[in-house]
Amino acid sequence: MTAITEKQNTARNKPRTPWLNTVAGETAIQAGVFVVLLLAWEIATRSGVISPFMLPAPEDVVRRMADDLASGVALADLGRTLWRAVLGFVISAVIGIPLGILMGRFALIKWFFDPLISVGFPMPKIAFLPIFILWFDVFDTSKIIMVVISAIFPIVLAANAGTEQCDKWPVWSARSLGASKAETLWEIIFPLALPQIMTGLQIALPVALITTIVTEMMMGGPGLGGAMMTAGRFADTQGVFAGIVEITIMGLVLMKGFEALRRRLLRWQPQVRE
Amino acid sequence: MRDASRSAISIENVQHSYVLRGGKEIIALQNISLDIQAEEFHALLGPSGCGKSTLLYLIGGFIPLQEGSIRTRSGEVTGPGLERGIVFQNFALFPWMTVKQNILYGLRKANFPRKEAEDRAREFIQLVHLTGFEDAFPSQLSGGMQQRAAIARTLAVDPEILLMDEPFGALDAQTRRIMQEELRAIQQRTKKTVVFVTHDVQEAVLLADRITIMSPRPGRISHLIEVGLERQSVEDMLAQPEFTAKSEHIWRLVKDMAESAMRGPA
Repeated sequence: MTAITEKQNTARNKPRTPWLNTVAGETAIQAGVFVVLLLAWEIATRSGVISPFMLPAPEDVVRRMADDLASGVALADLGRTLWRAVLGFVISAVIGIPLGILMGRFALIKWFFDPLISVGFPMPKIAFLPIFILWFDVFDTSKIIMVVISAIFPIVLAANAGTEQCDKWPVWSARSLGASKAETLWEIIFPLALPQIMTGLQIALPVALITTIVTEMMMGGPGLGGAMMTAGRFADTQGVFAGIVEITIMGLVLMKGFEALRRRLLRWQPQVRE
Repeated sequence: MRDASRSAISIENVQHSYVLRGGKEIIALQNISLDIQAEEFHALLGPSGCGKSTLLYLIGGFIPLQEGSIRTRSGEVTGPGLERGIVFQNFALFPWMTVKQNILYGLRKANFPRKEAEDRAREFIQLVHLTGFEDAFPSQLSGGMQQRAAIARTLAVDPEILLMDEPFGALDAQTRRIMQEELRAIQQRTKKTVVFVTHDVQEAVLLADRITIMSPRPGRISHLIEVGLERQSVEDMLAQPEFTAKSEHIWRLVKDMAESAMRGPA
Protein backbone atom coordinates (compact mmCIF):
# COMPACT_ATOMS: atom_id res chain seq x y z
CA MET A 1 0.00 0.00 0.00
CA THR A 2 2.70 2.41 1.11
CA ALA A 3 4.91 1.36 -1.73
CA ILE A 4 2.20 2.10 -4.26
CA THR A 5 1.47 5.54 -2.81
CA GLU A 6 5.13 6.41 -2.85
CA LYS A 7 5.49 5.29 -6.39
CA GLN A 8 2.51 7.39 -7.40
CA ASN A 9 3.96 10.37 -5.61
CA THR A 10 7.32 10.18 -7.28
CA ALA A 11 5.56 9.65 -10.57
CA ARG A 12 3.59 12.83 -10.03
CA ASN A 13 6.42 14.95 -8.75
CA LYS A 14 9.01 13.94 -11.28
CA PRO A 15 8.18 14.65 -14.89
CA ARG A 16 7.70 11.05 -16.00
CA THR A 17 9.50 10.38 -19.26
CA PRO A 18 10.02 14.06 -20.00
CA TRP A 19 10.55 13.51 -23.72
CA LEU A 20 6.93 12.27 -23.92
CA ASN A 21 5.60 15.63 -22.89
CA THR A 22 7.40 17.46 -25.66
CA VAL A 23 5.97 18.08 -29.09
CA ALA A 24 8.69 15.85 -30.51
CA GLY A 25 7.70 13.02 -28.17
CA GLU A 26 4.05 13.27 -29.16
CA THR A 27 4.98 13.25 -32.82
CA ALA A 28 7.15 10.17 -32.27
CA ILE A 29 4.21 8.23 -30.84
CA GLN A 30 1.91 9.33 -33.62
CA ALA A 31 4.53 8.31 -36.16
CA GLY A 32 4.72 4.90 -34.45
CA VAL A 33 1.08 4.23 -35.27
CA PHE A 34 1.82 4.75 -38.93
CA VAL A 35 4.90 2.55 -38.85
CA VAL A 36 2.70 -0.30 -37.59
CA LEU A 37 0.13 0.36 -40.33
CA LEU A 38 2.84 0.47 -42.99
CA LEU A 39 4.27 -2.83 -41.74
CA ALA A 40 0.85 -4.48 -42.02
CA TRP A 41 0.51 -3.06 -45.53
CA GLU A 42 3.95 -4.30 -46.55
CA ILE A 43 3.26 -7.80 -45.18
CA ALA A 44 -0.15 -7.99 -46.88
CA THR A 45 1.29 -7.14 -50.29
CA ARG A 46 4.56 -9.09 -50.04
CA SER A 47 2.80 -12.28 -48.90
CA GLY A 48 0.71 -12.19 -52.06
CA VAL A 49 -2.63 -11.96 -50.23
CA ILE A 50 -3.43 -8.82 -52.24
CA SER A 51 -2.34 -8.39 -55.83
CA PRO A 52 0.16 -5.54 -56.32
CA PHE A 53 -2.07 -4.26 -59.13
CA MET A 54 -4.86 -3.54 -56.62
CA LEU A 55 -2.61 -2.47 -53.77
CA PRO A 56 1.03 -1.72 -54.56
CA ALA A 57 3.61 -2.43 -51.85
CA PRO A 58 4.63 0.60 -49.75
CA GLU A 59 8.17 0.18 -50.96
CA ASP A 60 7.01 0.51 -54.58
CA VAL A 61 4.93 3.56 -53.72
CA VAL A 62 7.91 5.18 -52.04
CA ARG A 63 10.12 4.37 -55.03
CA ARG A 64 7.52 5.88 -57.33
CA MET A 65 7.36 9.01 -55.17
CA ALA A 66 11.15 9.27 -55.30
CA ASP A 67 11.11 8.94 -59.09
CA ASP A 68 8.36 11.57 -59.45
CA LEU A 69 10.21 13.83 -57.07
CA ALA A 70 13.46 13.42 -59.00
CA SER A 71 11.80 14.12 -62.35
CA GLY A 72 10.12 17.24 -60.91
CA VAL A 73 6.57 16.02 -61.70
CA ALA A 74 5.64 15.57 -58.03
CA LEU A 75 6.89 18.97 -56.97
CA ALA A 76 5.05 20.76 -59.77
CA ASP A 77 1.76 19.02 -58.90
CA LEU A 78 2.30 19.38 -55.16
CA GLY A 79 3.19 23.04 -55.55
CA ARG A 80 0.12 23.77 -57.65
CA THR A 81 -2.21 22.03 -55.19
CA LEU A 82 -0.56 23.69 -52.21
CA TRP A 83 -0.78 27.11 -53.85
CA ARG A 84 -4.52 26.73 -54.56
CA ALA A 85 -5.33 25.39 -51.08
CA VAL A 86 -3.24 27.94 -49.18
CA LEU A 87 -4.30 30.93 -51.27
CA GLY A 88 -7.97 29.92 -50.94
CA PHE A 89 -7.51 29.43 -47.21
CA VAL A 90 -5.80 32.80 -46.75
CA ILE A 91 -8.52 34.60 -48.74
CA SER A 92 -11.17 32.85 -46.61
CA ALA A 93 -9.42 34.01 -43.44
CA VAL A 94 -8.92 37.58 -44.67
CA ILE A 95 -12.62 37.92 -45.55
CA GLY A 96 -14.09 35.55 -42.96
CA ILE A 97 -12.46 36.86 -39.78
CA PRO A 98 -13.47 40.53 -40.20
CA LEU A 99 -16.93 39.48 -41.40
CA GLY A 100 -17.49 37.26 -38.37
CA ILE A 101 -16.29 40.00 -36.01
CA LEU A 102 -18.48 42.66 -37.65
CA MET A 103 -21.47 40.31 -37.52
CA GLY A 104 -20.85 39.88 -33.82
CA ARG A 105 -20.72 43.64 -33.20
CA PHE A 106 -23.33 45.09 -35.57
CA ALA A 107 -26.86 43.73 -35.60
CA LEU A 108 -27.50 45.05 -39.09
CA ILE A 109 -24.62 43.09 -40.59
CA LYS A 110 -25.67 40.02 -38.64
CA TRP A 111 -29.24 40.28 -39.94
CA PHE A 112 -27.95 40.53 -43.50
CA PHE A 113 -25.49 37.64 -43.43
CA ASP A 114 -27.15 35.24 -41.00
CA PRO A 115 -29.67 33.82 -43.50
CA LEU A 116 -26.97 33.51 -46.17
CA ILE A 117 -24.84 31.50 -43.78
CA SER A 118 -27.72 29.34 -42.58
CA VAL A 119 -28.44 28.36 -46.19
CA GLY A 120 -24.85 28.28 -47.43
CA PHE A 121 -23.10 26.35 -44.66
CA PRO A 122 -24.87 22.99 -45.04
CA MET A 123 -25.09 23.31 -48.85
CA PRO A 124 -22.68 21.11 -50.86
CA LYS A 125 -20.66 23.93 -52.42
CA ILE A 126 -19.17 21.60 -55.01
CA ALA A 127 -22.55 21.77 -56.79
CA PHE A 128 -21.47 25.22 -57.97
CA LEU A 129 -18.49 23.84 -59.84
CA PRO A 130 -20.10 23.61 -63.31
CA ILE A 131 -21.26 27.24 -62.97
CA PHE A 132 -17.86 28.40 -61.75
CA ILE A 133 -16.22 26.74 -64.73
CA LEU A 134 -18.58 28.69 -66.99
CA TRP A 135 -18.17 31.94 -65.09
CA PHE A 136 -14.44 31.81 -64.50
CA ASP A 137 -12.10 29.26 -66.01
CA VAL A 138 -10.98 25.65 -65.74
CA PHE A 139 -7.67 26.71 -64.20
CA ASP A 140 -6.86 28.34 -60.87
CA THR A 141 -9.64 30.93 -60.47
CA SER A 142 -12.62 28.58 -60.31
CA LYS A 143 -10.77 26.18 -58.01
CA ILE A 144 -9.62 28.89 -55.61
CA ILE A 145 -13.10 30.42 -55.47
CA MET A 146 -14.46 26.96 -54.74
CA VAL A 147 -11.97 26.65 -51.87
CA VAL A 148 -12.94 30.07 -50.52
CA ILE A 149 -16.69 29.44 -50.46
CA SER A 150 -16.08 26.09 -48.74
CA ALA A 151 -13.52 27.16 -46.15
CA ILE A 152 -15.01 30.54 -45.27
CA PHE A 153 -18.05 29.21 -43.36
CA PRO A 154 -16.31 27.66 -40.34
CA ILE A 155 -14.11 30.77 -40.12
CA VAL A 156 -17.02 33.25 -40.16
CA LEU A 157 -18.99 31.19 -37.65
CA ALA A 158 -16.02 30.86 -35.28
CA ALA A 159 -15.13 34.56 -35.47
CA ASN A 160 -18.76 35.48 -34.91
CA ALA A 161 -19.16 33.16 -31.92
CA GLY A 162 -15.86 34.33 -30.43
CA THR A 163 -16.90 37.96 -30.79
CA GLU A 164 -20.32 37.46 -29.27
CA GLN A 165 -18.79 35.77 -26.25
CA CYS A 166 -16.41 38.65 -25.54
CA ASP A 167 -16.88 40.33 -22.19
CA LYS A 168 -17.70 44.02 -22.40
CA TRP A 169 -15.27 44.89 -19.59
CA PRO A 170 -12.00 44.73 -21.57
CA VAL A 171 -13.69 46.68 -24.37
CA TRP A 172 -14.90 49.35 -21.95
CA SER A 173 -11.46 49.47 -20.34
CA ALA A 174 -9.86 50.10 -23.72
CA ARG A 175 -12.45 52.78 -24.49
CA SER A 176 -11.72 54.58 -21.24
CA LEU A 177 -7.99 54.36 -22.02
CA GLY A 178 -8.58 56.29 -25.22
CA ALA A 179 -9.35 53.65 -27.88
CA SER A 180 -12.05 54.55 -30.38
CA LYS A 181 -14.90 52.14 -31.05
CA ALA A 182 -13.34 51.13 -34.37
CA GLU A 183 -9.93 50.59 -32.75
CA THR A 184 -11.39 48.19 -30.18
CA LEU A 185 -12.53 45.87 -32.99
CA TRP A 186 -8.97 45.09 -34.06
CA GLU A 187 -7.09 45.80 -30.84
CA ILE A 188 -9.39 44.17 -28.28
CA ILE A 189 -12.20 42.10 -29.82
CA PHE A 190 -9.96 40.30 -32.33
CA PRO A 191 -7.41 39.05 -29.76
CA LEU A 192 -10.22 38.17 -27.32
CA ALA A 193 -11.94 36.10 -30.02
CA LEU A 194 -8.64 34.64 -31.30
CA PRO A 195 -8.88 31.27 -29.48
CA GLN A 196 -12.18 30.57 -31.23
CA ILE A 197 -10.96 32.03 -34.51
CA MET A 198 -7.96 29.69 -34.43
CA THR A 199 -10.30 26.74 -33.88
CA GLY A 200 -12.34 27.86 -36.88
CA LEU A 201 -9.17 28.14 -38.99
CA GLN A 202 -8.08 24.68 -37.91
CA ILE A 203 -11.39 23.30 -39.17
CA ALA A 204 -11.16 25.33 -42.39
CA LEU A 205 -7.62 24.23 -43.30
CA PRO A 206 -8.44 20.57 -44.10
CA VAL A 207 -11.64 21.75 -45.79
CA ALA A 208 -9.50 23.91 -48.08
CA LEU A 209 -7.23 20.98 -48.86
CA ILE A 210 -10.10 18.57 -49.52
CA THR A 211 -11.89 21.07 -51.75
CA THR A 212 -8.72 21.69 -53.76
CA ILE A 213 -8.18 17.99 -54.40
CA VAL A 214 -11.84 17.34 -55.27
CA THR A 215 -12.01 20.24 -57.74
CA GLU A 216 -8.72 19.13 -59.28
CA MET A 217 -10.05 15.60 -59.63
CA MET A 218 -13.20 16.83 -61.34
CA MET A 219 -11.49 19.28 -63.67
CA GLY A 220 -8.15 17.58 -64.32
CA GLY A 221 -5.06 19.50 -65.35
CA PRO A 222 -2.00 20.19 -63.22
CA GLY A 223 -2.26 19.47 -59.50
CA LEU A 224 -2.24 16.35 -57.35
CA GLY A 225 -5.97 15.65 -57.78
CA GLY A 226 -5.73 15.78 -61.58
CA ALA A 227 -2.57 13.67 -61.60
CA MET A 228 -4.27 11.00 -59.50
CA MET A 229 -7.30 10.87 -61.79
CA THR A 230 -5.02 10.51 -64.81
CA ALA A 231 -3.07 7.73 -63.05
CA GLY A 232 -6.35 6.00 -62.21
CA ARG A 233 -7.51 6.09 -65.83
CA PHE A 234 -4.30 4.33 -66.85
CA ALA A 235 -4.77 1.75 -64.07
CA ASP A 236 -1.56 3.14 -62.52
CA THR A 237 -2.28 2.25 -58.88
CA GLN A 238 1.25 3.18 -57.83
CA GLY A 239 0.66 6.67 -59.14
CA VAL A 240 -2.66 6.96 -57.28
CA PHE A 241 -1.12 5.79 -54.03
CA ALA A 242 1.86 8.08 -54.46
CA GLY A 243 -0.64 10.95 -54.73
CA ILE A 244 -2.55 9.80 -51.65
CA VAL A 245 0.64 9.64 -49.60
CA GLU A 246 1.80 13.03 -50.86
CA ILE A 247 -1.53 14.67 -49.98
CA THR A 248 -1.51 13.03 -46.57
CA ILE A 249 1.99 14.28 -45.82
CA MET A 250 1.10 17.76 -47.06
CA GLY A 251 -2.02 17.86 -44.88
CA LEU A 252 -0.11 16.61 -41.86
CA VAL A 253 2.67 19.18 -42.28
CA LEU A 254 0.13 22.01 -42.73
CA MET A 255 -1.89 20.98 -39.67
CA LYS A 256 1.24 20.58 -37.51
CA GLY A 257 2.52 23.94 -38.63
CA PHE A 258 -0.80 25.49 -37.80
CA GLU A 259 -0.88 23.87 -34.39
CA ALA A 260 2.55 25.38 -33.68
CA LEU A 261 1.26 28.78 -34.78
CA ARG A 262 -1.73 28.40 -32.46
CA ARG A 263 0.51 27.60 -29.50
CA ARG A 264 2.64 30.61 -30.27
CA LEU A 265 -0.27 33.03 -30.69
CA LEU A 266 -2.26 31.77 -27.70
CA ARG A 267 0.59 31.29 -25.24
CA TRP A 268 -1.18 33.69 -22.88
CA GLN A 269 -3.84 31.03 -22.28
CA PRO A 270 -3.09 28.87 -19.25
CA GLN A 271 -4.19 25.68 -21.03
CA VAL A 272 -1.78 26.38 -23.91
CA ARG A 273 1.16 27.14 -21.61
CA GLU A 274 0.89 23.85 -19.72
CA MET B 1 -24.99 74.63 -1.39
CA ARG B 2 -21.56 73.24 -2.09
CA ASP B 3 -18.90 75.26 -3.81
CA ALA B 4 -19.45 74.54 -7.50
CA SER B 5 -15.78 74.98 -8.41
CA ARG B 6 -14.90 72.09 -6.09
CA SER B 7 -17.33 69.81 -7.85
CA ALA B 8 -15.61 67.10 -9.92
CA ILE B 9 -18.76 65.36 -11.11
CA SER B 10 -22.22 66.87 -11.08
CA ILE B 11 -25.12 64.59 -11.77
CA GLU B 12 -28.47 66.20 -12.41
CA ASN B 13 -31.87 64.51 -12.66
CA VAL B 14 -30.55 61.34 -14.19
CA GLN B 15 -33.17 58.73 -15.06
CA HIS B 16 -32.43 55.41 -16.65
CA SER B 17 -34.59 52.50 -17.68
CA TYR B 18 -34.11 49.16 -19.36
CA VAL B 19 -36.57 47.54 -21.70
CA LEU B 20 -36.71 43.81 -21.13
CA ARG B 21 -37.43 41.27 -23.83
CA GLY B 22 -41.17 41.40 -24.25
CA GLY B 23 -41.33 45.16 -23.85
CA LYS B 24 -41.53 45.45 -20.06
CA GLU B 25 -39.76 48.58 -18.86
CA ILE B 26 -37.64 48.51 -15.69
CA ILE B 27 -36.68 51.81 -14.13
CA ALA B 28 -33.08 51.37 -13.01
CA LEU B 29 -32.45 54.92 -11.81
CA GLN B 30 -34.94 57.60 -10.87
CA ASN B 31 -34.23 61.23 -10.22
CA ILE B 32 -30.58 61.00 -9.35
CA SER B 33 -28.89 64.30 -8.50
CA LEU B 34 -25.50 64.23 -6.84
CA ASP B 35 -22.41 66.40 -6.61
CA ILE B 36 -19.11 64.62 -6.15
CA GLN B 37 -16.29 66.89 -5.10
CA ALA B 38 -12.75 67.01 -6.33
CA GLU B 39 -10.36 64.76 -4.38
CA GLU B 40 -13.31 63.19 -2.60
CA PHE B 41 -13.57 59.46 -1.98
CA HIS B 42 -17.23 58.85 -2.62
CA ALA B 43 -18.89 55.46 -2.09
CA LEU B 44 -22.10 54.38 -3.79
CA LEU B 45 -23.60 51.85 -1.38
CA GLY B 46 -26.70 49.75 -1.70
CA PRO B 47 -28.12 46.26 -2.20
CA SER B 48 -27.92 44.61 -5.59
CA GLY B 49 -30.42 45.97 -8.02
CA CYS B 50 -30.26 49.54 -6.69
CA GLY B 51 -28.61 50.77 -9.87
CA LYS B 52 -25.29 51.77 -8.33
CA SER B 53 -23.28 50.08 -11.07
CA THR B 54 -25.57 51.54 -13.74
CA LEU B 55 -24.93 55.00 -12.29
CA LEU B 56 -21.17 54.35 -12.39
CA TYR B 57 -21.35 53.18 -16.03
CA LEU B 58 -23.31 56.31 -16.90
CA ILE B 59 -20.61 58.47 -15.28
CA GLY B 60 -18.05 56.46 -17.23
CA GLY B 61 -19.96 57.11 -20.44
CA PHE B 62 -20.14 53.41 -21.26
CA ILE B 63 -23.91 53.36 -21.59
CA PRO B 64 -25.77 56.26 -23.21
CA LEU B 65 -27.49 58.74 -20.96
CA GLN B 66 -31.25 58.76 -21.44
CA GLU B 67 -32.36 61.67 -19.29
CA GLY B 68 -30.63 64.30 -17.19
CA SER B 69 -27.02 65.35 -17.39
CA ILE B 70 -23.63 64.38 -16.01
CA ARG B 71 -20.80 66.90 -16.11
CA THR B 72 -17.17 66.69 -15.21
CA ARG B 73 -14.59 69.48 -15.40
CA SER B 74 -13.95 68.36 -18.96
CA GLY B 75 -17.58 69.04 -19.83
CA GLU B 76 -20.70 67.06 -20.54
CA VAL B 77 -20.28 63.27 -20.47
CA THR B 78 -21.19 61.86 -23.88
CA GLY B 79 -18.93 58.79 -23.94
CA PRO B 80 -15.84 57.35 -22.28
CA GLY B 81 -13.16 59.94 -21.57
CA LEU B 82 -9.55 59.93 -20.50
CA GLU B 83 -10.34 62.03 -17.41
CA ARG B 84 -12.44 59.15 -16.09
CA GLY B 85 -10.53 55.90 -15.51
CA ILE B 86 -12.32 52.73 -14.49
CA VAL B 87 -11.52 49.55 -12.58
CA PHE B 88 -13.95 46.64 -12.76
CA GLN B 89 -14.72 43.85 -10.34
CA ASN B 90 -13.39 41.16 -12.67
CA PHE B 91 -10.21 43.16 -13.42
CA ALA B 92 -10.83 43.35 -17.20
CA LEU B 93 -7.14 43.10 -18.01
CA PHE B 94 -6.28 42.25 -21.61
CA PRO B 95 -5.46 38.54 -21.15
CA TRP B 96 -3.15 38.29 -24.18
CA MET B 97 -0.91 41.08 -22.91
CA THR B 98 1.63 40.91 -20.10
CA VAL B 99 1.27 43.20 -17.09
CA LYS B 100 3.63 45.70 -18.67
CA GLN B 101 1.91 45.59 -22.06
CA ASN B 102 -1.45 46.15 -20.36
CA ILE B 103 -0.13 49.30 -18.73
CA LEU B 104 1.64 50.44 -21.90
CA TYR B 105 -1.62 50.14 -23.87
CA GLY B 106 -3.15 53.22 -22.31
CA LEU B 107 0.15 55.11 -22.36
CA ARG B 108 0.52 54.49 -26.12
CA LYS B 109 -3.05 55.66 -26.67
CA ALA B 110 -2.14 58.81 -24.77
CA ASN B 111 0.84 59.28 -27.13
CA PHE B 112 3.57 59.01 -24.55
CA PRO B 113 6.98 58.72 -26.25
CA ARG B 114 8.28 55.15 -26.01
CA LYS B 115 10.99 55.81 -23.43
CA GLU B 116 8.73 57.87 -21.21
CA ALA B 117 5.94 55.26 -21.45
CA GLU B 118 8.37 52.53 -20.39
CA ASP B 119 9.53 54.56 -17.40
CA ARG B 120 6.01 55.39 -16.41
CA ALA B 121 4.88 51.76 -16.70
CA ARG B 122 7.76 50.75 -14.43
CA GLU B 123 6.83 53.46 -11.95
CA PHE B 124 3.22 52.33 -11.68
CA ILE B 125 4.15 48.65 -11.54
CA GLN B 126 6.27 49.63 -8.55
CA LEU B 127 3.43 51.67 -7.04
CA VAL B 128 1.18 48.59 -6.95
CA HIS B 129 4.03 46.28 -5.83
CA LEU B 130 4.18 44.17 -8.95
CA THR B 131 7.87 44.63 -9.70
CA GLY B 132 9.17 41.28 -10.95
CA PHE B 133 5.85 40.39 -12.57
CA GLU B 134 6.10 42.80 -15.53
CA ASP B 135 6.23 39.99 -18.07
CA ALA B 136 3.60 37.74 -16.50
CA PHE B 137 0.28 37.19 -18.24
CA PRO B 138 -2.85 37.95 -16.18
CA SER B 139 -3.72 34.25 -16.01
CA GLN B 140 -0.44 33.65 -14.20
CA LEU B 141 -1.33 36.08 -11.40
CA SER B 142 -3.57 35.81 -8.34
CA GLY B 143 -6.80 37.81 -8.19
CA GLY B 144 -5.25 40.45 -5.96
CA MET B 145 -2.27 40.87 -8.28
CA GLN B 146 -4.53 41.11 -11.31
CA GLN B 147 -6.54 43.84 -9.63
CA ARG B 148 -3.32 45.69 -8.75
CA ALA B 149 -2.29 45.50 -12.40
CA ALA B 150 -5.70 46.82 -13.46
CA ILE B 151 -5.41 49.71 -10.99
CA ALA B 152 -1.91 50.50 -12.27
CA ARG B 153 -3.14 50.46 -15.87
CA THR B 154 -5.88 52.94 -15.01
CA LEU B 155 -3.73 55.21 -12.83
CA ALA B 156 -0.84 55.30 -15.31
CA VAL B 157 -2.75 57.51 -17.75
CA ASP B 158 -3.44 59.87 -14.85
CA PRO B 159 -7.23 60.25 -14.92
CA GLU B 160 -8.69 62.96 -12.74
CA ILE B 161 -11.48 60.64 -11.64
CA LEU B 162 -11.18 56.98 -10.68
CA LEU B 163 -14.38 54.95 -11.09
CA MET B 164 -14.34 51.63 -9.25
CA ASP B 165 -17.03 48.99 -9.67
CA GLU B 166 -16.82 46.69 -6.62
CA PRO B 167 -13.11 46.34 -7.36
CA PHE B 168 -12.37 44.07 -4.40
CA GLY B 169 -15.58 42.04 -4.56
CA ALA B 170 -13.91 39.04 -6.19
CA LEU B 171 -11.00 38.91 -3.74
CA ASP B 172 -10.60 36.85 -0.56
CA ALA B 173 -10.98 38.64 2.79
CA GLN B 174 -7.26 39.09 3.56
CA THR B 175 -6.37 40.29 0.10
CA ARG B 176 -9.33 42.67 0.16
CA ARG B 177 -8.13 44.22 3.44
CA ILE B 178 -4.64 44.77 2.05
CA MET B 179 -6.01 46.22 -1.17
CA GLN B 180 -8.30 48.60 0.75
CA GLU B 181 -5.33 49.87 2.67
CA GLU B 182 -3.25 50.29 -0.48
CA LEU B 183 -6.06 52.04 -2.30
CA ARG B 184 -6.39 54.56 0.53
CA ALA B 185 -2.68 55.21 0.45
CA ILE B 186 -2.73 55.64 -3.31
CA GLN B 187 -5.71 57.99 -3.16
CA GLN B 188 -4.10 60.11 -0.48
CA ARG B 189 -0.92 60.34 -2.49
CA THR B 190 -2.43 60.94 -5.93
CA LYS B 191 -5.42 63.07 -4.79
CA LYS B 192 -7.79 61.38 -7.22
CA THR B 193 -11.51 61.81 -7.05
CA VAL B 194 -12.79 58.29 -6.45
CA VAL B 195 -16.30 56.97 -7.04
CA PHE B 196 -16.42 53.54 -5.45
CA VAL B 197 -19.35 51.17 -5.88
CA THR B 198 -19.76 48.58 -3.12
CA HIS B 199 -22.40 46.63 -1.22
CA ASP B 200 -20.07 46.22 1.76
CA VAL B 201 -20.95 48.72 4.52
CA GLN B 202 -17.64 48.35 6.37
CA GLU B 203 -15.69 48.87 3.19
CA ALA B 204 -17.63 52.05 2.42
CA VAL B 205 -17.12 53.47 5.93
CA LEU B 206 -13.45 52.48 5.93
CA LEU B 207 -12.63 54.13 2.63
CA ALA B 208 -15.08 56.89 1.86
CA ASP B 209 -15.36 60.54 2.82
CA ARG B 210 -19.02 60.49 1.90
CA ILE B 211 -21.43 57.66 1.21
CA THR B 212 -24.47 57.78 -1.04
CA ILE B 213 -26.90 55.08 0.02
CA MET B 214 -29.13 53.92 -2.77
CA SER B 215 -32.40 52.00 -2.58
CA PRO B 216 -33.70 49.57 -5.19
CA ARG B 217 -36.80 49.45 -7.41
CA PRO B 218 -36.55 52.03 -8.72
CA GLY B 219 -32.93 52.96 -7.98
CA ARG B 220 -32.92 56.16 -5.94
CA ILE B 221 -30.68 58.02 -3.55
CA SER B 222 -32.02 57.43 -0.07
CA HIS B 223 -29.29 58.98 2.11
CA LEU B 224 -26.13 61.00 1.70
CA ILE B 225 -23.83 60.53 4.68
CA GLU B 226 -20.63 62.32 5.71
CA VAL B 227 -18.39 59.72 7.26
CA GLY B 228 -16.22 62.27 9.09
CA LEU B 229 -13.90 59.76 10.72
CA GLU B 230 -10.23 60.45 11.28
CA ARG B 231 -8.09 58.69 8.69
CA GLN B 232 -5.87 56.17 10.43
CA SER B 233 -4.50 52.77 9.68
CA VAL B 234 -7.20 50.23 8.90
CA GLU B 235 -6.57 48.37 12.19
CA ASP B 236 -6.92 51.54 14.26
CA MET B 237 -10.03 52.59 12.41
CA LEU B 238 -11.68 49.23 12.91
CA ALA B 239 -10.93 49.46 16.63
CA GLN B 240 -12.52 52.90 16.95
CA PRO B 241 -15.93 52.94 18.65
CA GLU B 242 -16.95 55.75 16.26
CA PHE B 243 -16.24 53.45 13.31
CA THR B 244 -18.42 50.69 14.74
CA ALA B 245 -21.21 53.14 15.55
CA LYS B 246 -21.11 54.63 12.05
CA SER B 247 -21.11 51.21 10.42
CA GLU B 248 -24.02 50.09 12.59
CA HIS B 249 -25.98 53.21 11.76
CA ILE B 250 -25.45 52.78 8.02
CA TRP B 251 -26.04 49.05 8.18
CA ARG B 252 -29.51 49.71 9.68
CA LEU B 253 -30.31 52.04 6.80
CA VAL B 254 -29.20 49.50 4.22
CA LYS B 255 -30.64 46.44 5.96
CA ASP B 256 -34.31 47.29 5.43
CA MET B 257 -33.70 47.87 1.75
CA ALA B 258 -31.71 44.67 1.41
CA GLU B 259 -34.52 42.75 3.06
CA SER B 260 -37.21 44.24 0.89
CA ALA B 261 -35.00 43.59 -2.14
CA MET B 262 -34.75 39.94 -1.15
CA ARG B 263 -38.51 39.67 -0.88
CA GLY B 264 -38.74 40.69 -4.50
CA PRO B 265 -40.67 43.43 -6.24
CA ALA B 266 -43.59 44.91 -4.30
